Amino acid sequence: MNVVFVELDRCIACLSCEQACQFQQAERNRGWSPNIFVNVDIDRRRIYAGTCLQCETALCMEVCPVSALTRDPETAAVIVEEEICLGCGLCVAACPFGYMQIDESLGKATKCDLCGGNPRCVQMCMAKALHFGSINSLAELKRKQTDLRLGLRAVPYDEDDDQ
Amino acid sequence: MMGTTIIENGIVKTLCRMCDNRCSIDVHVRDGNMVGIAPGEGNPSNQGRMCPRGGAALDMFYHPDRIRKPLKRRTDGSFVEISRDRALDEIAEKMLKIKDRCGARSMGIWKGEAVGFLQQEEYARRFARAFGTPNYFSNDSACYNGRFMGHYLVTGFWNPFPYYANADLILLFGTNPPVCHPPFMAEFADAKANGANLVVIDPRLNPIACYADIFAQPLPGTDGALAWGLIRHLVKAGEYDHRLIEHHSIGFEGVVDYAEKFTPEYVEEQTGVYADVVVNIARLIIENRPKVSFYMGAGLEHHDNGVNNIRALVILSCLTGALDIDCGLTWPEEMQRNKLTLYDELPLEGKKPIGADRFPVLYDLRKECHSMTAMDYMLGHGDYPLKGLIITAANPAVTNPNTRKVEEALGSLDLLVVNDLFFTKTAGRAHYILPAASFLERSEIHIDIKYQRVYLTNKVADVPGIQDEYMLWHDLAHRLDFGERYFPWRNETQVNRYILEPSGIGLEQLQAHPEGVQYRPLTFKKHLSRPLPTASGKIELASPYLKNLGFAAIPEYVPPYHLRERSGEYPFLLTTGARKTLFYHSRHQNMEYFRKLHPKAEVEIHPDDAAEPSFAVAS
Ligand code: SF4
Ligand code: SF4
Repeated sequence: MNVVFVELDRCIACLSCEQACQFQQAERNRGWSPNIFVNVDIDRRRIYAGTCLQCETALCMEVCPVSALTRDPETAAVIVEEEICLGCGLCVAACPFGYMQIDESLGKATKCDLCGGNPRCVQMCMAKALHFGSINSLAELKRKQTDLRLGLRAVPYDEDDDQ
Repeated sequence: MMGTTIIENGIVKTLCRMCDNRCSIDVHVRDGNMVGIAPGEGNPSNQGRMCPRGGAALDMFYHPDRIRKPLKRRTDGSFVEISRDRALDEIAEKMLKIKDRCGARSMGIWKGEAVGFLQQEEYARRFARAFGTPNYFSNDSACYNGRFMGHYLVTGFWNPFPYYANADLILLFGTNPPVCHPPFMAEFADAKANGANLVVIDPRLNPIACYADIFAQPLPGTDGALAWGLIRHLVKAGEYDHRLIEHHSIGFEGVVDYAEKFTPEYVEEQTGVYADVVVNIARLIIENRPKVSFYMGAGLEHHDNGVNNIRALVILSCLTGALDIDCGLTWPEEMQRNKLTLYDELPLEGKKPIGADRFPVLYDLRKECHSMTAMDYMLGHGDYPLKGLIITAANPAVTNPNTRKVEEALGSLDLLVVNDLFFTKTAGRAHYILPAASFLERSEIHIDIKYQRVYLTNKVADVPGIQDEYMLWHDLAHRLDFGERYFPWRNETQVNRYILEPSGIGLEQLQAHPEGVQYRPLTFKKHLSRPLPTASGKIELASPYLKNLGFAAIPEYVPPYHLRERSGEYPFLLTTGARKTLFYHSRHQNMEYFRKLHPKAEVEIHPDDAAEPSFAVAS
C-alpha cells in the first residue's frame, strides 16, 4: 500500500503540509486539526515532520471498542467512521506515535486518511520532502542516497520515484 | 454563484498569482463552478507542487467582500454605486481638469504588486506616458528596486535566481525561502543532498538555519560590513578569480584600498558577528569557489545604504568567479518582444519626475518615481502639486512608511481612483473605487527569466461587470483621446499577440503548452565572447556612472541609522521584515482560513527584553 512518508533531510519546516491539511479538513467539515505534524526544535536545530504510517497492525484499530476504525477498501488507509466513533480516545492512547487525535470541535477521532488517494500535503510540499508511495520506496531512496554519498555507485539515480 | 467559468466541466490550466512565483496550476471546474486547485505538471519552477496560499485562491475569487460594482464617494464620506461608464466619464473629466489647471504631471499612476508585472506594469507605465506624466509609482521603490540596482550597477543585469542545486556553497542573506520563494525549497534540498554547504545570514533565526553549516546573526542593516570583511579576506589571501578581475572588471584597486579597514575585528564591531565566524565564512567561500550561490533577499534593501550593501555582495560574488555560471550570477537573456512602455516614442524630457532630483539613479534605471516623496508633493511641499492619483492593486495607506502622513496625503488629493478587489484602507480614501479582476479572470503573458520560458495564463472565469486591467486603461484612454493611438487593441488577447510578435512564438503555441515554452536555450560564460551589458562592458567594481552623479564610485559601507544615532530613549530595534507563508506582502489578510491560523498581529521579542519593566504587556 501507499503511505505518506517524509524524506526528513529535505523538510524546511514551512508548515505548508499542516496548513494544507487543516484547510482540507475544514472544506470537508472535518474540524480544524491537521493530521500531519511538523515539530521544530529551533534551539537544537532539529526538524521532524510525520504523519500516520497506516500500520499493518494498527493498534488504534485493535483497541477501538466499537470498531469505528476501518480500512478504506481503495487506499487501505485506516479511516474513522465518524457516526460510530465515541470520541473515547482509546485509539489516541494506543497509537505509539501520537498521530491519532481527537478533534475537539467534532468530539471524534481524526487521522490521516490519505485524502482518498491523492494526499493534499504531498501536493503542497514544495521542498519535495513529502512523498506518496510504498514505504519501501523510502528505503530505496535512502539506499541510493547513502550509496551515492559513499561513492559505491557511479550512476546517478532517476528522480521520479514518487507518484 | 458569482462568475461564469469559460468551460462547464473540466480542468483549466493556468498559472497561480497568489504570489509572484507563478506556479503552474490546474483549476478544476464542475457545473460552472471552480471547485478546486491542484498543482500543474511540467513547469520546472514548481515541479508539480504548489503551496497552500495558491491552493486557497478560489476563496479569494469567491470572497463575499469582493467589490462587484464601481463606487463613488459622496460628500458625507459614504459610497454609492455608479455605473462603470459614468464613473470612467467623470474620472476622465477630472483628470483633464487637473491637466488644464496644473499640467499633466500633476496626475500620478501607481501600480501595486497585487496585479503583477510585465504587461500589467507596462499598461500603467504606458498610460502615464500617453497622458503626459512622468509620475509612475509602484511598490518597487520600497522593495525590489534596491536589489535590481545593487546588481545592475555592478554587472549590468539582474537575475537573482541561480540554479542553486548545482552550487557547492549557498549563502543566504536576509531571506527566508519558504516565505520568499517557495520553489527554492526543493532546490536547496537538492543542493544539500548533493553535499552543498549552506551559510545563513539573518538577524532572525528561521528553520532553514537548521541546515546551515554557519548561521550568523548580524545587526540589521550591517550586511555591507560583512561583505567588505569577506572581500578583504579573499583579496588578502589572493583567493579570487584573477582572470575575471584582470580582464573583465574595472575599479579593482579601489576595492582593495577600501576593503583594508574591514578586518574581522572591525566587522565584528559593526555587525555583531564574531570575528572568527567571519573568517570561517570566508574560508568556506574559498574552499567552494567558484560554485557559490549568493542570494540577497529583500531584507537587505529595507535598510539605508541597502543598494550599496547589495552591490558589495555582488562584487564579492564576482570575486569568487561565480559570474555567468549556472549556480552563480546567471546572465539571463530576454525574450524578443514588443514593450508597451512608450519610452522610446515619448521620452517626456524636462518634466521633473517626482523624486528624480534626490534619487536620480532610481528614475534613470527604473523610470520610476519615489513613492515616499510623492506624499510631500501631495501635501503641497513639492516643486509642483500632485493632485490626482490612479492606484491599482496597491494599498499604500497600509504599506508605505509613515502611515499617518500617507493617509493625510491621500486624503488631500482632488482625485483618487482606486482599482481593487477589496475595500482596502486606501480605497476608503478614494473618490472612485473600481472593481478589479483577479488573476483567474485574465489571460496574460508571463516570462520566467531563470528558465528563459514564456507562458500564457488562461482565463478561467468572468465576473459580470468586472473588467480586467487592460480594459481599465483602454477605456480611460479612449475617453482621454489617446485611445486610438496608444490603446488600439480591443482586448488582452490582441495585446498578447502584439507582445509576442517579434519572439517567433505564437499565441497558439503557448495555448498548447500551458507548462510554458523555452524561448531561448540557457547559455553560460557569455562574457567570454561578448561585453557585459554595463557601460564599460565590464564588471563595474567601481561605478563611473555613480561617480559622475557625485556619489562614491565604490559601494561604501555606511552604518545603519540605528547604529549611527544610538538612542537611550528608544533602546529597542523593531524590524518589520518577517512574513508568514500564507500572506503575501499586505495581501490575503481577509482570507478566512488564513486569519483563523493567524488571528492577531504578532511581535517576536527576546524573552529577556520582554522581561524589561519598560515593556507593558497588554493582554
Ligand atoms: S510541507 Fe514539506 S517542507 Fe514544508 S513542513 Fe511539510 S514536510 Fe516540511
Ligand atoms: S508559491 Fe504558492 S502562492 Fe506562489 S505562485 Fe506558487 S502556489 Fe501560488
